[in-house]
Amino acid sequence: MLSLTWLRGLTARRRGRLAAAACGVAIAVALLASIGSFLSASKATMTARAAADVAVDWQVQAQPGADPTIVLDTVKAAPGVTAAAPVGFAATSGLQATTGGSTQSTGPGVVLGLPDGYRNTFPEELRDLAGAGTGVLLAQQTAANLHASPGDTITVGRAGLSAVAVHVDGDVDLPQADSLFQAVGAPVGAQPQAPPDNVVLLPAAQWHALFDPLAQNRPELAHTQIHARLAHHLPADPSAAYSQVSGQARNLEVKLAGAGTVGDNLAATLGAARADALYAQILFLFLGLPGAVLAGLLTAAVAGAGVDRRRKEQALLRARGATGSQLTRLGGIEAAAVGAIGATVGLAAALALGKAMFGTFGFGATTVAAAGWAAGSAAVGFLIAAATIAVPAWRDARGVTVIAGRRSVGRAGPPRWASYGLDLLLLGAGALIFWLTGRGGYKLVLAPEGVPTISVSYWAFAGPALLWTGAGLFAWRIADLILGRGRPIMRRVLRPVAGPLAGTVASSMSRQRRILANALVLVALTTAFAASTAVFNATYRQQADIDARLTNGADVTVTQSPGTNVGAAGGAVLAKVPGVRSVEPIQHRFAYVGADLQDLYGVRADTIVGATKLQDAYFQGGTARQLIATLASRPDSILVSAETVKDFQLHPGDQVTLRLQDGRTKQFTDVAFHYAGIAKEFPTAPRDSFLVANADYLTKMTGSDAVGAFLLDTGGSSPAAVAGRVRSVVGAQAQVTDLTTSRRVVGSSLTAVDLAGLTRLELGFALVLAAASTGLVLALGIAERRRTFAIASALGAKARQLGGFVWAEALFITGGGLAAGALGGWVLSHMLVKVLTGVFDPPPAALAVPWAYLAAVGGTAIAAVSIAALGAIRATQRPATALVRDP
Amino acid sequence: MTASENGRVLVRCDGVARTFGSGFGAVVAVHDITCEILAAQQVAITGPSGSGKSTLLHLLAGLDEPTAGSVSWPALGDRDALRPGPVGVVFQGPSLLPPLDVLENVALPLLLGGTSEAAATAAAAAALDRLHLSALATKLPEELSGGQAQRVAVARVLAGRPRLILADEPTGQLDHAAGALIVDALIRSATDLGAALVLTTHDPLVAARLNSGWVMADGGFVTPRDPRERGLTCSA
Repeated sequence: MLSLTWLRGLTARRRGRLAAAACGVAIAVALLASIGSFLSASKATMTARAAADVAVDWQVQAQPGADPTIVLDTVKAAPGVTAAAPVGFAATSGLQATTGGSTQSTGPGVVLGLPDGYRNTFPEELRDLAGAGTGVLLAQQTAANLHASPGDTITVGRAGLSAVAVHVDGDVDLPQADSLFQAVGAPVGAQPQAPPDNVVLLPAAQWHALFDPLAQNRPELAHTQIHARLAHHLPADPSAAYSQVSGQARNLEVKLAGAGTVGDNLAATLGAARADALYAQILFLFLGLPGAVLAGLLTAAVAGAGVDRRRKEQALLRARGATGSQLTRLGGIEAAAVGAIGATVGLAAALALGKAMFGTFGFGATTVAAAGWAAGSAAVGFLIAAATIAVPAWRDARGVTVIAGRRSVGRAGPPRWASYGLDLLLLGAGALIFWLTGRGGYKLVLAPEGVPTISVSYWAFAGPALLWTGAGLFAWRIADLILGRGRPIMRRVLRPVAGPLAGTVASSMSRQRRILANALVLVALTTAFAASTAVFNATYRQQADIDARLTNGADVTVTQSPGTNVGAAGGAVLAKVPGVRSVEPIQHRFAYVGADLQDLYGVRADTIVGATKLQDAYFQGGTARQLIATLASRPDSILVSAETVKDFQLHPGDQVTLRLQDGRTKQFTDVAFHYAGIAKEFPTAPRDSFLVANADYLTKMTGSDAVGAFLLDTGGSSPAAVAGRVRSVVGAQAQVTDLTTSRRVVGSSLTAVDLAGLTRLELGFALVLAAASTGLVLALGIAERRRTFAIASALGAKARQLGGFVWAEALFITGGGLAAGALGGWVLSHMLVKVLTGVFDPPPAALAVPWAYLAAVGGTAIAAVSIAALGAIRATQRPATALVRDP
Repeated sequence: MTASENGRVLVRCDGVARTFGSGFGAVVAVHDITCEILAAQQVAITGPSGSGKSTLLHLLAGLDEPTAGSVSWPALGDRDALRPGPVGVVFQGPSLLPPLDVLENVALPLLLGGTSEAAATAAAAAALDRLHLSALATKLPEELSGGQAQRVAVARVLAGRPRLILADEPTGQLDHAAGALIVDALIRSATDLGAALVLTTHDPLVAARLNSGWVMADGGFVTPRDPRERGLTCSA
């Protein structure tokens, strides 16, 4: 009965107190539920994209002696398999072609036999480049090596048998060559096998006619794989999907009873996605959890602002005979009411945010996930309410006397943690753990191939977490020190704000230094959270953009088809396309570095830096400008990969001799270069080894100025629109790609997941927290002390003088909090980016600082404080006789 | 009224009324009050709870404005110049600012009035000394007893050297002994300063110690004890 009466009284008379505390809870619940729904949706997206990216789900290799037909039937009968087709693999001793009066020969290669309908069943495995899409097809690099084009005839060598001639019908690209030519059944941890340089694809009947005899004589040189496609009804979580798919594969291997080994491409891709999913989870922990903790602290600050009033109410109830347990129950009732209101509002806000940010109502990709996130977030909200309202009420009911309950200032000494130096210990421990975990290269997520479970190095979390906590406590210590021992300094500093009352204001603030230090720490932690989150997100976006730019090369890239010979002058046509600001030609050749065939890019040294926005991080041994300037001043300079430098023990200035094809004779000839520096990344270049040289020198030495790709700068025009116009100009002669499309498809599944929604969400919450931790906390603090201000007013204080008290506190909390938070945020940002290195591809050379957003955070805090302070000063000007009379 | 008489009138109420709220819910706290308080007068206003004593005192102090009639301070100046300055108020409940110590609390009205920090501190220390409260100078309000806190509030008034002291049931929350000390302090302070003292109380013993008095009921004056007494005039 008492509980109900109390609840009615709270809702009728203490609406502001309830609403403010519920607001803090609601922020925490909404933040957790929103990020949870993002996480759940992201995981589902990762699974879907990973599954969609796989050209062939399973490659089941028939073991020597096994009947491929039986293996095919077994695969077709396996649960989940929707299509299966046999593919012949045979080794060729070498290929030869005579074109344009010269003969080119290659080393060993692989000849595939594709059945009818293969390309329809597995459309992602092959991409047409030139000629017909069926018949005898040459892989792109093979066509380049042989100088063969559709219509030419090549000779295919067979070990122990006579070579056979085939008529080339087309050129194709094999986008997933790595998995297509994998060593099926290789032991876990084995080095991945490089795809063959030379590949010919034949229709199955022709393959059998040519290579069945080889299979009989040399069975180790020919085998059959069954390529299978699975129904992609997978669990939303990549880990669960991985377990399901790899379980199905093992089940098939059992059924095959040794007749076949499964190369599980789908599980391999999902395996990478599950690591990315864990990274997404880590992002949630790093970015979401501090926000929830802050919302909890905010609620505690809001509840703490009313603690005097609550204690007085308790004292009154106790005087009327209420027992300790009754008082505790009343605290529990208030906490439950705050928790219920906060959780309801928070979940509703999360639903609305989910709809606005991600386009769907709900907290997760599945019903279970939705229920879990909603219940979990609400539970956290109730916990916060209990910890900030019920627990203090219980503690007061047990331990605080009526006299002590009336105290609001006190002369308490430093808190116990400060005496023990806990803040310094935490900072030291954070730095130590950061250094220790950093030595290993911050491998946060360990996902060994083939192992069903993956692990997260949670130690790496400890560094930033300890730093954040330690920095918060340290800021408290400094604030306490300034307000306590630094009172004479405060008196001088406050003179412009408080005038002759500076000393009194400094004394007043000094006696309330615990409350003020708490408020300052809340602002500092919020600022640090907002700053580090914003910097992390901006850096992530910057790197994703660089990644897309590296992959695509420019806003729009026109890649010439193999065999075509378009010189730099060909760019003139492209330059006339509306929306194209400049055209930068890049030569693309293949060069032998010893026995290793690498991509070689010839660049125009005077224009390439500006045209492609080369980053210093792409190079080693000098900045982008310095190294490209070296290419200009010494045209025979060459930039090589770090691996090449290591393999060949190169030093700057060393001669590097490459074997390059001469454009006139089509023969490979030796060309001398001099090592000038290391290129780690380069637009359009592959991620492994490649070379960068001066285009003019290449033209001079090879007699060919053939361009591999034209990089188009659209100068701000939509890359996709310009790409469309370019396509209509170049037709099928060249491949046209644009930055916008690349951005969507490049990189890992994590990169591909659009973090924009999460970014907006977190940054929005950070702004709300900044406003609440400054304005709301200050307003509530002043509201709870309005009797003090009323007395001061009754004693004759003018609005300007009362304003001195209010502005001094506001300035201290906001200015100190923002300064401490900016410093903490700066350190945290560096730490976060370092710890989460694995998320970035390529790793950032420098942090991206979103100044506009940071200014918005500062502006929001200052605006919120100003509104609160002006409101408070205005309130003190109203007649306050009732307040003065009411003790 | 002559100029010299006018110079002695500290406060003049002319048909003053104060109503809180409006319509059916309106509460008339005081009505039709006409009175004058002259320099160096000592007046006790008594009456039951809700009779309008505190409201009248707030009107006299300029803390509140009448809804009818007028209040003026012929010898003290404008309403805005009353506090801090010629009017000092002792409130019924705790009125010391919690985050300031006793000395700072006593010095505050002087600082608010523009006195230099050094002079305000010296005057505050002197006022505390006069009331034998110097030992409490560095104490915080929450470390004082109710009686000590009220004596410090009296010292705060004393430090400002007002011409009119208004005390709103200053002994209302104290026992007799503590209350007696407060009344002693108030009377002595007013006498020393030559200030008028108006004090509201329920306690007839307290009222008896002042040489004039009004009795209030239902927002107006009941028959005054002695309306011709030493220049005190009132009517209802």
